[in-house]
Amino acid sequence: MNTIEKILKNHSIDEIHNVSPGDIVTVNVDKAIIVDMAALHPEFINNPPLKPFDNDKIAIIFDHFVPPPNIEIANRVDKLRKLARLWNIKDFYDVGRGGISHVLSSEKGWLKPGSIIANTDSHTISTGAFNVLGRGLGTPELMGIIATGKTWFMVGNTININFEDKLSEKSSAKDVFFSMVKLVGDIPNDNIEFHGDGIKHLDMDQRSSISTMCAEMSAEFAIFPFDGILGNYLESHNIHNVNPVYPDKDAEYSRTYDIDLKNIEPMVAFPDRIINNVKPISEIGKIEINVAVVGSCANGRISDLKDIAKVLKNKKVNKNVRFIVTPATMDIYDEALRLGYISDIVESGAIVTNPTCGACLGGHMGVSSENDVIISSTTRNFKGRMGSPGSKIYLGSSRTVALSAVNGYISGE
Amino acid sequence: MDIFQVSDMKKITGKVWKFGDDINTDLMYPQICYTLREEEKPYYAMSANRPGWSKLVKNGDVVIGGKNFGTGSSRPAADNLKNLGIACVVAESINGLFLRNSVNSGLLSLEVPGITTKVNEGDIVEINTEDNTITVNNNAIKFKPLPDFLMEIIENGGIINILKNKNLLGNPL
Repeated sequence: MNTIEKILKNHSIDEIHNVSPGDIVTVNVDKAIIVDMAALHPEFINNPPLKPFDNDKIAIIFDHFVPPPNIEIANRVDKLRKLARLWNIKDFYDVGRGGISHVLSSEKGWLKPGSIIANTDSHTISTGAFNVLGRGLGTPELMGIIATGKTWFMVGNTININFEDKLSEKSSAKDVFFSMVKLVGDIPNDNIEFHGDGIKHLDMDQRSSISTMCAEMSAEFAIFPFDGILGNYLESHNIHNVNPVYPDKDAEYSRTYDIDLKNIEPMVAFPDRIINNVKPISEIGKIEINVAVVGSCANGRISDLKDIAKVLKNKKVNKNVRFIVTPATMDIYDEALRLGYISDIVESGAIVTNPTCGACLGGHMGVSSENDVIISSTTRNFKGRMGSPGSKIYLGSSRTVALSAVNGYISGE
Repeated sequence: MDIFQVSDMKKITGKVWKFGDDINTDLMYPQICYTLREEEKPYYAMSANRPGWSKLVKNGDVVIGGKNFGTGSSRPAADNLKNLGIACVVAESINGLFLRNSVNSGLLSLEVPGITTKVNEGDIVEINTEDNTITVNNNAIKFKPLPDFLMEIIENGGIINILKNKNLLGNPL
């Protein structure tokens, strides 16, 4: 069995000895996470689960609409506060207390190698960086998990991605993802396992950025192995005695792709879709932009803020560009303040918002107009994703976004 | 808008609306839908990529999609199609999260590789979940059925009904 099959086997409610593609496995879930968006699903408010299967295994996190942008949303999410009290939820993170659920989950030590996480947000595949299986699920399905602690997975084929060597200074984890999607395309129902010597040159922020973006290939799971880098991260977050899962020697993979990290150059995804729509920046000519955005579960981490602070220090954002920067969590915001990144960013003419998913989903804190041409390090470039369907969304690394914000056109250096 | 009731889940006959590859959740359920009244939401489905389409849909119509149908978010995108009257989604391949959400909302969604080469917009298709065939222009196309326990969720009208029947849900917040 490969890593993914073994984690599913370990969590099966029935005693089973093997898991392979085509199987359906019913599993116990280690943590179920509800984000504020659940309150915008009418069923959740009208028919909430009677009681949680285990209140210590439930987290409620406000992230998409922090702080609420209008009365309707303010009233809806307030009902989640009531629920947090009713269920005595200790892992409740209100406005100003936490941040984007996927990033917060790692900071809080919920991502223990070998575990299974369910979350109402579609980027839960991000947990794969931590040797954890996570899946985004619809709110009605999460309601069932809250009540029972169980869910099911259909086991897909698993592809093997081998990373070799290391990235050049000018390239980022987002460019690794774009190179991978160019090579592999979309893989609905299939999984990814990452292997190879190149992994030791990718830190946890970079791995998280890559695993998060695998949702955009329609992958089920995308998992990294446990190693010293992950071990050190967990130790520094007070997580000891972990039980990582490794593939068997005869693990099966449907296909293998080799990716040489040193050959990866800065890339962008053109508007409306990522699949069959990415190009190296060196080949795109001059594309002017008027909005730049850095943030989201994929690229709102401290290394993203470091990358853009380095570009922006003692420089000015181009006069035609509005630059919005959103740290993923309060801890990241705080660290960026201490390290001076926030002043470098603000002094350049960019705006720094509070942690939220805001601009990525076109919810608030940077909704686009019909004429906007955006370069963003967020997760999705669907038509209308960030606001008006007339706006055009290009995706790139945070470094690319900052360089583009200074130059006024999409730039990889 | 009438909320479409499936009277005979075993056999669906409807007119085809054809869409391309990578039709995402945000096209089916744009951001604006989150705070609209329930009855208004479905009319925004595909408003960015196919303005005016939602008003043309009739109860029992069928959506045929290309590869990677439903890629994207966990939002209730399938609900918008179902509440417009769409009786079934058939696509070359379907994003796993969309498939789950569709089943959990009681909307039949089927992966049928090759379907886009055999069906044209406006065709009348008959989808039979007893003998697992789609019939169009007198040609019968076999498909791999959904697992029984997923069909059971669909036949119950979605997961909420099942949770209610098991007394797992409480009073409004």
